Amino acid sequence: MKAVDPVPVEARLRDIQSITDAALSRLDELGLLTELLDRIREIMQVDTAAVLLLDASSGQLIATAAAGLEEEVRQGVRIPVGRGFAGRIAAERRAVILDHVDHTTVLNPILWAKGIRSMMGVPMTAGDDVIGVLHVGSLVPRPFTSYDTELLQLAADRAATAVKSMLAHADRVAVTALQLSLVPSALPAVAGMEMAARYVPGRGVLGGDWYDVFTLPSRELCVVMGDVAGSGLAAAVIMGRMRSALRAYALETPDPGEVLDRLDRNVRHFEPDALATVLYAVIDAAHEQMRICLAGHFLPVIALPGLPAEPVLAAAGLMIGIGDDTRRPVTTMTIPPQALLCFYTDGLIERPGEMIDDGLARLCRVITAQHPEAACAAVMAALIGSEPARDDVALLMLRRRAEDDDDA
Amino acid sequence: MPDAMFPVEMVSGVPVVTTPEQVDITNADGLRAALLESAQRGHSSVVVDMSRTEFCDTAGLHALVAAHKRALAEGGELRLVTAGAAVQRIFAITGLNRVIPGFASLQEAVSGSSSG
Repeated sequence: MKAVDPVPVEARLRDIQSITDAALSRLDELGLLTELLDRIREIMQVDTAAVLLLDASSGQLIATAAAGLEEEVRQGVRIPVGRGFAGRIAAERRAVILDHVDHTTVLNPILWAKGIRSMMGVPMTAGDDVIGVLHVGSLVPRPFTSYDTELLQLAADRAATAVKSMLAHADRVAVTALQLSLVPSALPAVAGMEMAARYVPGRGVLGGDWYDVFTLPSRELCVVMGDVAGSGLAAAVIMGRMRSALRAYALETPDPGEVLDRLDRNVRHFEPDALATVLYAVIDAAHEQMRICLAGHFLPVIALPGLPAEPVLAAAGLMIGIGDDTRRPVTTMTIPPQALLCFYTDGLIERPGEMIDDGLARLCRVITAQHPEAACAAVMAALIGSEPARDDVALLMLRRRAEDDDDA
Repeated sequence: MPDAMFPVEMVSGVPVVTTPEQVDITNADGLRAALLESAQRGHSSVVVDMSRTEFCDTAGLHALVAAHKRALAEGGELRLVTAGAAVQRIFAITGLNRVIPGFASLQEAVSGSSSG
């Protein structure tokens, strides 16, 4: 609480507020940021204003929007966190005022070459995380006060809101595009095998569930079901990388356990924070046998004509992304003619307050050895219904045709 | 930031995070924060008391695995108290029961050795 003349602060804050509220409805967020910076320049009577956003993967601040300092954005200025003026603000999460701008205090030569004499910057935060830095500069020496700092921090909080919304929107667009490119739009046509699949995002948030079906040069048929922990762009990107890596290892080695082992090493090295469950199964060219390996994934279900469906009793193996030296067991099973195989992710059967086995039993009750399309429809109707699923759901069914029915 | 849903208490010098009935995508960040806070207080080992927990999804497991890795890197360990059958089942399916030590009671988890 400051005792210093509260009226102008209020008035100036209202100015900032009015521009953001009005602008939000009609501008994209980058436009809003630029307009906000223009207004800050006017209200605080400074010559430059700029926003640098943190790129968490590189640990660098990247110039994103500027007023009176457009070259900073055009030249793609990057400042490592912890170094220079903006880097210090991000690292120390506090306002910094400079009354002396040269190469000893400021890393970015654009700032001192421009003749900026005084600078002030504040962190932009979202929750507990620093997401960027907002700074202003004056071409004439100017003693910034704590009162100025307070005002700039209010503007930075506003800008952070706009940025969060901008990033969330960009994420959604990118995730949708990624998801569409990653989940096979059409399942491969394989003689003797019928297939159908469903993918439904949970409560509108795209997550990291994926499935993949492909054949090898040996004419073996490979089935992948996976679930990357997390949601949004980060999970979708990891999912995409895992999908590609798994396909590559599948071409190299016939043993499903070895494929998942290599995938695990790949993930632990390149995505050390990722965690995923994966099921990988290889069906022989005659579709008579399946070798299946689980990395923390739920058991698939098999249904034979006239018999109740039941879980395939494949041995459990450790999730991807943790690492120990134990090899995941591979279970070999026979696929009788007309058998229906059902692969899925946890969102299909997990319900709070219930045993997994109850969910699995419910799934088994609604699966019959019918055409995969009909079986998918029946399962989704019975287990998902019309409520939005709380988690992603991916579902994949394969049916081996009767032997006398090979080429329909 | 402390989260009322995931209280952290010291028991015989070991931080103990107690989890609610459900740990899922809606509150896993709270668990993550509580575990991080325990680590930042300078404790390499931490106990997560999940005896009240009846549901834990992938997001919850993710938070636990991150804490497990951090504890190992610092020479400690993450120890779980898992009494509920549903949670034990998830740990068996995911293979985590072989990697993260589980204990039948809080007392055993805090001392780091099972009485059996």
